[in-house]
Amino acid sequence: MAEVVILGAGVSGHTAALHLRRQLGREHRVTVVSPNSQWNWIPSNIWVGVGEMDKKSVVFPLAPIYRRQGIDFRQAKATAIHPDGDKQDSRGAVDIEYTQPDKAGTTDSLRYDYLVNATGPKLRFEATPGLGPDGFTLSVCTADHAVEAAAKLAEAISLLKQGKPQTLVVGMGHGTCTCEGAAFEYVFNVDHELREAGVRDLARVVYLTNEAQLGDFGVDGMVFDQQGFQTTSELWTGSLFRERGVDAILGAHVSSVEQGLIHYETLDGAKHTLEFDFAMLIPPFGGVPLKAYDADGADITGRLFAPSGFMKVDADYTPKPYEEWRAEDWPTTYLAPGYDNLFAVGIAFAPPHQISRPRKSANGTLIAPSPPRTGMPSGVMGKTAALTIASRIKHGATTAPHTASMARMGAACVASAGAGLTRGSAAAMTMLPVVPDYQRFPTGRDARETRGEIGLSGHWVKLMLHYLFIYKAKALPGWPLIPE
Amino acid sequence: MTNQPVADLSKSPLPTAKTLRMRRSLPFQFTRFLAFNTRIMRMVLKGHH
Repeated sequence: MAEVVILGAGVSGHTAALHLRRQLGREHRVTVVSPNSQWNWIPSNIWVGVGEMDKKSVVFPLAPIYRRQGIDFRQAKATAIHPDGDKQDSRGAVDIEYTQPDKAGTTDSLRYDYLVNATGPKLRFEATPGLGPDGFTLSVCTADHAVEAAAKLAEAISLLKQGKPQTLVVGMGHGTCTCEGAAFEYVFNVDHELREAGVRDLARVVYLTNEAQLGDFGVDGMVFDQQGFQTTSELWTGSLFRERGVDAILGAHVSSVEQGLIHYETLDGAKHTLEFDFAMLIPPFGGVPLKAYDADGADITGRLFAPSGFMKVDADYTPKPYEEWRAEDWPTTYLAPGYDNLFAVGIAFAPPHQISRPRKSANGTLIAPSPPRTGMPSGVMGKTAALTIASRIKHGATTAPHTASMARMGAACVASAGAGLTRGSAAAMTMLPVVPDYQRFPTGRDARETRGEIGLSGHWVKLMLHYLFIYKAKALPGWPLIPE
Repeated sequence: MTNQPVADLSKSPLPTAKTLRMRRSLPFQFTRFLAFNTRIMRMVLKGHH
C-alpha cells in the first residue's frame, strides 16, 4: 500500500487528489490536508465582490466529496516536512496542525510515500502597511473578502446616489503582485455596476497597477493577430480603458495605505498620494510557510524553499539577465531537486524568474509583476504530478515522470466586464504558451491561438467555466471528461 | 485626480458603432462562443502535456 499526501485543496491540489483517486486502487491511501473546510472557485469571487453572485454559489464543503471519493481529508495546516524521514522511519513525513474546530491546535504527523505541495499562496497583506481587510483596503482573494468588498461597493453606490462623488481604486497593492487579470476584471465589473446604478458620471474609477504597460498581465503582454495586422494586448486593453473612462496608473508600487490615502511610487521614482473612498487592492503572494528538516532534525528549509517561501522544483534558478531567459528554464516535472517523491504544483512552486521584464524605479524599488500560475496551468500541474505518482506506484519508482511546462501549455483568461445573458460582456484572451518562447515563435507565442476579443460571448464562456469547474470539482459523473 | 500620473490613452482606438453592435449581437456572439471554445480545446490538445 502506498500513502500519498497532498497539501492544499485548491485548483491544483484538488485536481491532483481526484486524479490520484481515479488512478489508484483502494488499497492505496490518498490524503488531502487543507486548513479550509470549503472549496472555492476563486475566479467567480469577482462576481461575489460586486454583489452579482452570493458566496454559496462559489464555495462548497470538501468533506462530503472526499468521503464519497474515498479520500482521507484532514482539515489542518501543514507546518513542517521531513523529506528524508527521521530516526524512527526513513519514509518522509509531514507535520500537521488541525484547524477543524473540534480538534483545533492538536498536532499529528503523517508518513508518506509521495507528497504534493499544493498549498497555494499566502496573502501577504503585511508587505504593505495598511493594506487589506484588516487595514484600509478590500480584497476579493477569498469568498469572505469578496462579500465584504460587495458590501463596501454597495455603500459607495449609495453615497453616489446621494450625489456625493466617490473615487474607486482597483489594482495591485505592491510592486511585486501577480494576478493582474483579477484586478482588471474587477475594475470593469465595478464600472458596470456603477453604470447599472446610473451613477457612473459621479464616480472616478482608477486602475492602479504594477504593470509597466496596460495589457501586461504579468506575462509580458501578448501580440494578437487580428484582421491581418499584429496588434498588442496593450493597445487592445487601452481601448477598453478609454471606452469605459477608467484612469490607469502604471508601473506603481504601493508603499503604504492609510484611511482614504494610498501612497505609491512610480517607475520614474516619483512618489504620489491618491485619495480614495473605495479601494480593492490585490496583495502580493508568498509561499505558505513550511519548515523542512533532514533525518537528523537539521533545518533544511533554505535548501527546499526559495526566500519567497515557494518550493524549488526542476527549474533553472541560475540568476541571469532578462535577455538570457529561456522557455527551458521553466519546470516540467515539478519534482523537488534530489527527491523523486516530492512535488510542488500551482502557486506553491518557485518560478525561475518573472515572465514580464522586471523593472526597478529610479529609487531602486523593484516593480515587477510576478508570474501568474493559477487556473488552467495550476490544474494541469496538479494532474501531471498525479499521473507521475500513479505511474510510479503502479510500475515502479523509477518510471519516467509525466511532464507539463508553462512554456508549452496554454491558458485562457476571461475577464467579465458586465453581467447578464444578453447584456453581459467580457474581455476573453487565450495564450499559447503562457511563458513566451522566442526561439519557437517570433512574437513569443503561437499567433493562431493567442487571441483577444471583447463581447457577450466571453461572458457566456465565463459562466460556462463557472458551472463546469464546480461540477468537476464536485467529482460528479463524467468529471474526468472536463479538461483542466 | 490632480498630479496623478494617469496614462494618456487618447491615442487608443475606440470601437465603432458597428463593433459595439457586433459585441452584443446574439447570432454573431454565438459563433464567437463556439470559436473560443474550439480554441481552448485545441490548446488543451496541443499544449497540456
